[in-house]
Amino acid sequence: MLQRERIPLQLIFLQAALVVAWCFTDVETGPGAGVSTQPNGDRFKIEGRAIVPGIKTQDWVSTARVLVEGEEYVGFLRTDGSFAVNDVPSGSYVVEVVTPTYRFEPVRVDITTKGKMRARLVNYIKTSEVIRQPYPLQIRASGPHSYFMKRETWGWTDFLMNPMVMMMVLPLLIIVLLPKVVNTNDPEMRKEMEQSMNMLNPNPELPDVSELMTKLFSGSKGSSKAGSSSKGTRPAAKRR
Amino acid sequence: MIADLFILRQQYVGKVRFSHFDTHVQSSKKVLVATERNVFAALNTRTGELFWRHVDKTGSEGNIDALLQHGQDAVLVVGNGRLLRSWEINVGGLNWEVVLDSGSFQSACLVGQQDMVKHVAVLKKTAISVHYLSNGHQKWIENLPETETVDYQAVYSDGNGEVYVLGVVPHSHIAIVVYSMEDGEIIKQMSVEAPWLYNIQASCVVVGQGMLTCVDSAGVSFYMLDLHLQLQMTQVPLQSLALEVDPGFHPVLLSHQPNPARQPLSEFFLQLGPDHYQLLQLNNGQIAAMRDFKPALLVSFATTGEKTVAAVMSPKNKTVSKCEIERSLPSRPVVNLFSAETGRRLLDTTLIVNMDPNGGKPEKLYVQAFLKKDDSVGYRAMVQTEDHTLTFIQQPGRVMWTREEALSDVVTMEMVDLPLTGTQAELEGEFGKKADGLMSMVMKRLSSQLILLQAWIGHLWKLFYDARKPRSQVKNDVTIENLSRDEFNLQKMMVMVTASGKLFGIDSKTGGILWRHYLHNVPPNAAFKLMVQRTTAHFPHPPQCTLLIKDKDTGLGTLHVFNPIFGKKSHVTPPALPQPILQSLMLPLMDQDYAKVLLLVDDQYKVSAFPSTKNVLQQLQEMAASIFFYLVDSSQGRLSGYRLRTDLSTEQIWEVIIPPEVQKIVSVKGKRPNEHVHSQGRVMGDRSVLYKYLNPNLLAVVTESTDLHQERSFIGILLIDGVTGRIIHEAIQRKARGPVHVVHSENWVVYEYWSTKSRRNEFSVIELYEGMELYNSTVFSSLDRPHAPQVLQQSYIFPSSISTMEATLTEKGITSRHLLIGLPSGGILSLPKMFLDPRRPEIVSEQSREENLIPYAPELLIRTEWFINYNQTVSRVRGIYTAPSGLESTCLVVAYGLDIYQTRVYPSKQFDVLKDDYDYMLISSVLFALFFATMISKRLAEVKLLNRAWR
Repeated sequence: MLQRERIPLQLIFLQAALVVAWCFTDVETGPGAGVSTQPNGDRFKIEGRAIVPGIKTQDWVSTARVLVEGEEYVGFLRTDGSFAVNDVPSGSYVVEVVTPTYRFEPVRVDITTKGKMRARLVNYIKTSEVIRQPYPLQIRASGPHSYFMKRETWGWTDFLMNPMVMMMVLPLLIIVLLPKVVNTNDPEMRKEMEQSMNMLNPNPELPDVSELMTKLFSGSKGSSKAGSSSKGTRPAAKRR
Repeated sequence: MIADLFILRQQYVGKVRFSHFDTHVQSSKKVLVATERNVFAALNTRTGELFWRHVDKTGSEGNIDALLQHGQDAVLVVGNGRLLRSWEINVGGLNWEVVLDSGSFQSACLVGQQDMVKHVAVLKKTAISVHYLSNGHQKWIENLPETETVDYQAVYSDGNGEVYVLGVVPHSHIAIVVYSMEDGEIIKQMSVEAPWLYNIQASCVVVGQGMLTCVDSAGVSFYMLDLHLQLQMTQVPLQSLALEVDPGFHPVLLSHQPNPARQPLSEFFLQLGPDHYQLLQLNNGQIAAMRDFKPALLVSFATTGEKTVAAVMSPKNKTVSKCEIERSLPSRPVVNLFSAETGRRLLDTTLIVNMDPNGGKPEKLYVQAFLKKDDSVGYRAMVQTEDHTLTFIQQPGRVMWTREEALSDVVTMEMVDLPLTGTQAELEGEFGKKADGLMSMVMKRLSSQLILLQAWIGHLWKLFYDARKPRSQVKNDVTIENLSRDEFNLQKMMVMVTASGKLFGIDSKTGGILWRHYLHNVPPNAAFKLMVQRTTAHFPHPPQCTLLIKDKDTGLGTLHVFNPIFGKKSHVTPPALPQPILQSLMLPLMDQDYAKVLLLVDDQYKVSAFPSTKNVLQQLQEMAASIFFYLVDSSQGRLSGYRLRTDLSTEQIWEVIIPPEVQKIVSVKGKRPNEHVHSQGRVMGDRSVLYKYLNPNLLAVVTESTDLHQERSFIGILLIDGVTGRIIHEAIQRKARGPVHVVHSENWVVYEYWSTKSRRNEFSVIELYEGMELYNSTVFSSLDRPHAPQVLQQSYIFPSSISTMEATLTEKGITSRHLLIGLPSGGILSLPKMFLDPRRPEIVSEQSREENLIPYAPELLIRTEWFINYNQTVSRVRGIYTAPSGLESTCLVVAYGLDIYQTRVYPSKQFDVLKDDYDYMLISSVLFALFFATMISKRLAEVKLLNRAWR
């Protein structure tokens, strides 16, 4: 691609940090709560318990929080792992327990205007699908978070399984091993091989490209060397 | 697995509102703080680090109204009396949480009986309730009598089984209601004439054996009322005690109740003026003056065991007159302890407070007293200053730790390159100068090489010298003096502007604060804009930053010009700005001192330049025809574009009105001026090129509907050319609402919104392409672009809400882009832009595979492997700042909010750097092996040839 230099004809510099619009983005940090609910409507409580199997609760509760629909409602965990998020109006919410160390699956909780609760699996694609979960919530940690990818280590198997290496090693094996495995002194075998060679090289009059190249480059020097040291089983087979 | 070593996290709590030292164990190291940013935390008094921290909702619903501590429990009243919470302070877990009845919160206190504290009383506007400390259950709740006339303000208890509620009818009388602790029955109820009183909490305290002591606002007399007898108020004129209140000062009383089950002390402080305190004692109904403190900055009581002391902070020089205190900050105030019973000064209790000359005045004093082995009282002091700094000091003045809590509210920041060292500058200078002949050039070349050699030997010597010392002694302390740019420009100076008006310069490598500067007269609701006018590249001119501070109400602005490396105020005097400022823009024009020109547009649409030298004005006149800018007025929904005239007046050239009754403009985003785009197009599967539409003047305008009903609400996005006002594209997302987060870069706009229909967060991406051929491939002009771009758009589901979003930025734009997304859970997700590509096909074809397009999937995944901060969560991320480094692969990232988190990201892995565990041994051994193999095989070949020749 061509290297182009762009010289903007119009020098405009458009930063609007101090324009009124910016103040708006500063002020409005959270979404308005009163979309589907009246501000003075009934408020309900979402209850549940978070469990990390095999770990004492006091080791992790101080870093944990319960987030309802992002940070719209926040709850904290008691020292026994149970929690209650107060003051939640009716609606449908995704409840999440967040800790830096353990992973908890989110749960969707529906609250009717009368205060009936229902918990179900979160499905963002089919939002109306209902797979019931127990309520009060029982959220079990599914293991620690994996933040790190395992670094690639260098091992012999990795090295050998590398396609480049395989491409190099396999032909080498064939070159070295094939003459030993196939008995070239057997006349029948020889005939067969010659046939197959002819198939591969349909026009025997046409010089082989590799031979041509070697002749071209080592033309002035003694040709005996080039002939003997050039690779391949074919010339060797022919000589015999 | 080696974690990234360039991670830096600093956790903050915010400006402290309430603070208690944990005293229930003598050797406790905790101090509890409840802050104005709705955070409740325990700090380690030895190191200043956090034991634990709980971050509540922002806004009034998480606001902490009161903090009471008893033993291992801390009781908080949250959200204007909506919730009562009890925390276990050792573990940091919640004991219980109860919802209180509605009503605005007035006061709360612990209630004790027979030396046992078992209850907490909460006073609301219309009711009082008492709860058990053990489980939060309500013991009783009673409505207060005559709430329509009486304003109940305080609750008091001294352990005799009664709860006193004090109310006032302003300028008429005090109403006192006494409840029985057992069942909430009203024992007594009466009113006492007090025509001078209107606020109990501001002017009254309870002292000694239940004596309500008030001072009237005019400062003429004390009024005393025995709460047990409740006869009449006795008036004691201040003059009879030879006290005089400073004119215009409202006197304040300060008492101390060490144990809620006991009576308060009979000693108390009276503040008579801004720097004048008086210690008084109540003895058999008589007030006696004990000691006068003038000048005194702050006073505080502290109790340990049975002893109570009064700590007084005073300026060191006792003869300083009052006007001098007001004018200049006392640089070294001194804290002394006084016995509360006698008022005598305790020996060897002087503590010198070293105040930062660039900081604010001390505002609050918290004292942690303890008994020494010889039964005398020792203490440590925590001083809070008006720039939100907490300093913990031990005798005789050793600062144990300092917390810069202003950094919990960073508003804006910039990263500035560090200056070159002397030798580096010398080398650079060689290239800058014009040719002065061959010989001198050669000489210069040689001399600079010599300097380099010298520096290298010095470095080697230092390495050798350091290697002999034990490792713990080798410290790479970074100070302002030895700051210099590193090889790949990875270490930079972070200039941070906080809402309190304190500026910080932080070294990005170590996180150390290198300078701080407190701006004294910043209005509380100011908006800030930080601009780098001159970088460090123009030696010997110092780098220069300009901070525009604007009062959001009046629009009036001031400029603060400073050196970003040292934090010092510049000698350049900024112009006074008499008119409200609408817009500010940096031009790439430079004056003769290499400072970029800052244009300020006032509300008369007049333009002023800073610096405004003749040179600059001349340049502006030449360039005026090509300088355009835009203004946004979101209240009237008006976007307008202006052009500069040669006489520095302006001319409106376009206007777009977005009807404010239907939708409002929430944000306008342009592109970052320092962004580079490496490739002009994308190579398609059939080897043709799809050219990007790279308009540097493009603006993304986001609007939200004013109708918030979930069926009718919508968000809109407009792409407008900032020069011509031409609307390039318009998209509407129905059944969606904000908050909308937008990133606008290269030829794409990514935005995130809440879909009310499906109740989920969704991402949408718009990409603009010119098509298969470019119209004018050398120059982009907004005025000459006849073809409208092709617009591609796709949307995705995102399984979390987000706090903020930003795109990575690298030096040349070769590295692929990632989006950095701050999540409410505290993680910062680095999402490859590749996943947000509107050309992701639904059906995979040969060509799309060739292009490496990922097949479309509706849901984007959050993989914790993509979190750039691992388990180091950052709370309430407010903004993410990205800056390029000297390495193309590396982008520097700073996330700020309640915490500050700094790291480096490598969106395309570190393609230009060897891995830190690169196997030098393996590569060198392979090389050597190959070398020897060739030697041996050569020898063998020779032997073979020889043999053949003999044959």
